[in-house]
Amino acid sequence: MGHRDRRLGRRMVLPLILLLLAVQGYPMAFAVYISAHDYRLTALSEIRWVGLEQYRGLLGNSSYWTAMKNTLVFVFGAVGLELLLGFLLAYLLWRPVPAQNLFRAILLTPMFVTPIAVGLMFRFLLNNQLGIIPVWLRSLGLEIDWFGPDLALFSLILIDVWQWTPLMVLLLLAGLEALPVEPFEAARVDGASELQIIRHLTIPLIRPVMLAAILIRMLDAFRVFEYVYAITRGGPGERTETILFHIYRVGFLYFRLGEAAAMAITLALVIFVLVVLLFRILRRQEALT
Amino acid sequence: MTGLARGIAVKATPARGILRWGRRWPVLFRFSTLSIAAVAVLFPFLWIFLSSLKPPVELSRPSLFGFEPTGVNWSEVWLNSPFARYFLNSVIVGGLTVIVSLIVGAPAAYAFSRFGIGGTGLRFLILAAQMMPPALFIIPFFLMAYYVGLLDTVWAVAVAHLTFIAPLVTWFLIGFFEDVPRDLEEQAMVDGCTRWQAFVRVVLPAARPGLAAAGLFAFIMSWNEMFYALMLAGGHSKTLPVAIAGYWTFRGVDMGKMSVAITSAVIPVMIASFFVQRYLVRGLGGGALKG
Amino acid sequence: MFRRVTGFVIVLGMLASWLFGCRPAAPSPVTLTIIMEQVPDTDVIRKLLPDFEKENPGIKVVIDAMPYDAMRDKILASFMAPKATYDVIIVDNPWMDEFVAGNFLEPLDDRIRGVPDYDFEDFVKPVRDIGVVGSKIYGIPFYNYAVGLIVRQDLFDDPAYRDAYQKKYGKPLAPPTTLEDYVRIAQFFKEQSGGKIYGAAMQPQRGYKVFEEWKNWLYAAGGNLLDDQGKVILDRPEAVRALELYIEMYKTAAPPNSLNWGFDEALRSMAAGEAATMMSYNWMLPTLNNPQGPAGNLAGKFALYEVPGGKAVLGAWHWAIPRNAPNKDASWRFISWVTSKRIEKQRVILGGAPVRVSAMKDPEVWQKGFGQSYYETVLKILEDAEPLARGPKAEEIIQVVGTELNAAVAGEKTAEQALRDAAAQVRRILGQ
Repeated sequence: MGHRDRRLGRRMVLPLILLLLAVQGYPMAFAVYISAHDYRLTALSEIRWVGLEQYRGLLGNSSYWTAMKNTLVFVFGAVGLELLLGFLLAYLLWRPVPAQNLFRAILLTPMFVTPIAVGLMFRFLLNNQLGIIPVWLRSLGLEIDWFGPDLALFSLILIDVWQWTPLMVLLLLAGLEALPVEPFEAARVDGASELQIIRHLTIPLIRPVMLAAILIRMLDAFRVFEYVYAITRGGPGERTETILFHIYRVGFLYFRLGEAAAMAITLALVIFVLVVLLFRILRRQEALT
Repeated sequence: MTGLARGIAVKATPARGILRWGRRWPVLFRFSTLSIAAVAVLFPFLWIFLSSLKPPVELSRPSLFGFEPTGVNWSEVWLNSPFARYFLNSVIVGGLTVIVSLIVGAPAAYAFSRFGIGGTGLRFLILAAQMMPPALFIIPFFLMAYYVGLLDTVWAVAVAHLTFIAPLVTWFLIGFFEDVPRDLEEQAMVDGCTRWQAFVRVVLPAARPGLAAAGLFAFIMSWNEMFYALMLAGGHSKTLPVAIAGYWTFRGVDMGKMSVAITSAVIPVMIASFFVQRYLVRGLGGGALKG
Repeated sequence: MFRRVTGFVIVLGMLASWLFGCRPAAPSPVTLTIIMEQVPDTDVIRKLLPDFEKENPGIKVVIDAMPYDAMRDKILASFMAPKATYDVIIVDNPWMDEFVAGNFLEPLDDRIRGVPDYDFEDFVKPVRDIGVVGSKIYGIPFYNYAVGLIVRQDLFDDPAYRDAYQKKYGKPLAPPTTLEDYVRIAQFFKEQSGGKIYGAAMQPQRGYKVFEEWKNWLYAAGGNLLDDQGKVILDRPEAVRALELYIEMYKTAAPPNSLNWGFDEALRSMAAGEAATMMSYNWMLPTLNNPQGPAGNLAGKFALYEVPGGKAVLGAWHWAIPRNAPNKDASWRFISWVTSKRIEKQRVILGGAPVRVSAMKDPEVWQKGFGQSYYETVLKILEDAEPLARGPKAEEIIQVVGTELNAAVAGEKTAEQALRDAAAQVRRILGQ
């Protein structure tokens, strides 16, 4: 690559770097600054330096840990189910089936709907008295307390599954379609059963795509806010208090910005680790193609 | 191939016969499973659309059909409330964000794909940037918007959306530029173009579908975003998701109108999504996944 | 460093607002911007605005209506700006003391005295007291949302139910006045209807809702959040009894699986004829009795009473002027106009929730509004009512107590344990 290309390249990247410094770098530094202060929106004249005190406070803050735990349960539960269901649907869509393109188009729609609308729709669909789903279940003799203490978080997971399995389908289907044909022909000739082929051939071959899909979904699932906001507000008790909702509560209901910023930074660190993983998988994938 | 020949072929490779038989039952099985999934996906949309046509009495009952449809919710929302304005707000925020992101992101993505500028480190930062939690930025943004006097304006929301849209668009485009054959621009340079001219006149037009898909997808993401929009804007400047949440008020949920708002917000995105779908995989993988 | 960068950002911002011109500096004639919530009461104010602008040609009013959750941070930001974004704000009662403590609100005593025939004492006392902090008035009542008991009068009047109740308990069936009666009557309706009609549509949703409903029970049991000296008494036996009864009611007489219900679900349950009673805002009654409303042909069969025990949770919105508002005289012109006796009457006739005694006693209001008995009951409710929590930390106290109460109803903790935890947290918040 020529010297002039390099210079042009740098100039082409520069605007993006400047933009990101402005909209990400500066706010991030500002967030770190806020997290080291006692920073209350109701008392902006009394901001004082507290060092790492906010972070130390988080260690003994049981609501924070509950929110973190709930978020992790949500992320793993949702992504796990989405992977299973997504693989099933992608697999069914992989080979010709009547109305294949129509199915494809329909199954992908939920991921394009604004999550607040999804949350509000399910709030009413699952409502015990007014929703139609409990009415149907009742006619089957089933009585399910969707938003009671035992199931509330799981119900939110199901809503996430409804909305985001499509993304899983999309990515896995692309992975499946890029697979070479020969190994499958060979396996069939050898008389391998469908399940054997899936287990020993399909899954190992699309593992990199699978991992990438899992990480993309996980990173997104950490941001769950709208379903909680629309349906449970963190209840019952603190059963569905997720970390983003908790940060919202502390920052914008109690106006303790310093504490909220400290929580946000710890969350960013967790996410950063996941991004490192995702990036390595994508790089390896790139080397393969 | 004659019937006889086919019979021989089957006899010659019995495995294939089993396979053919084995393929037949899955078609039915696959079709029915996919149908169930499609119903599960479509049902909430149908329900919300029907709700938008229901008079208030029916909204308190868990019925699906069997009501007198009414257009009163639709006319209330679209004609007697500033909903059109919120619709426009969403268009402005999404449009502004996407245009800036494309202008800034396209050259950068090209530089990544052709010159490997900044190496993997910078690429990683682009990926990390689009994944950062909004909770990290919302407080600084709130304070900055307040200091600057842009709180409760669409501009504040647009700037906040740039945090994830700009890296997203850039990341998306890397893959699409890699798909543009290098011969194209080399030919243009042989013909006397500079590299930059080749990029603008040859590469960009060749990557047009990718640019459109990235822009459309980014627009949808901005259109659907609620967290920043709720915190930074809420009044005249509210976007559609905030407007939808706004029908859930202190005095009750206006289900009929909310259903209209949801349906109105969802339909354009649905249409756009059909154009985006087939480019999405290539984009999300930053060029690493095959679309 | 951040100050300097911020300075730069401010310059950029000024440039931006010059370029886009999105917020023009107040021109003459004066434009008042008012932040309000997106609710029907705001629509009522919108209907009154043309009259105000006709009577005050120099003043134009712009209402910026938004969802509840978007309001508080916008109001605070406006307080801290060099020049307020909002010329008039509305204040929810838990925010009042916090805003006064932050020195954000303009005292209104002198301005009130300056308006002839304003008659501030005409506002119902508990409502107007919310706007009084220390010895000064900072807020003028806008509308109330005090809690009452809404019942299906047709069920209470139904001879079959009356006879069965008389036979079973040896006394006539009537809207309950004690907690024990309330629980018993609710259970009775559920049993007697064979589970078709639940005794009470409850609102045990975490946070504000459950606390707002349960605190009526707490009053009825003789308890409170704080005593007269401001000490936390939430873990006293009265409170435990109130919570245990509340939980018993939820388990035995409320619609099943309604743990996340708020006002809307409860209202719909009543409207669909599935519940015999609910504790809710007094103005839900006209909504339910509206033939075009959610209740359809059940409209007209609902009636409003005081909550058992008589003392209700009071909620109210107040008008206030930010200290940094640029045109305080014009702001006050609007507030004093919209809260005057004359306009209050019009507002109530249009369906706004009343706050002035004179409006609630006005035969014209009775006739054009929702009838004499409704307004008389509302007045009785308002006269013996107290807000959920007061003080600069009210919002946080409400959230914390509401979380513990919801956990107890969910069965995660015993009533006693939940109240002990709630009391401990409130003490910590108050620094006791």
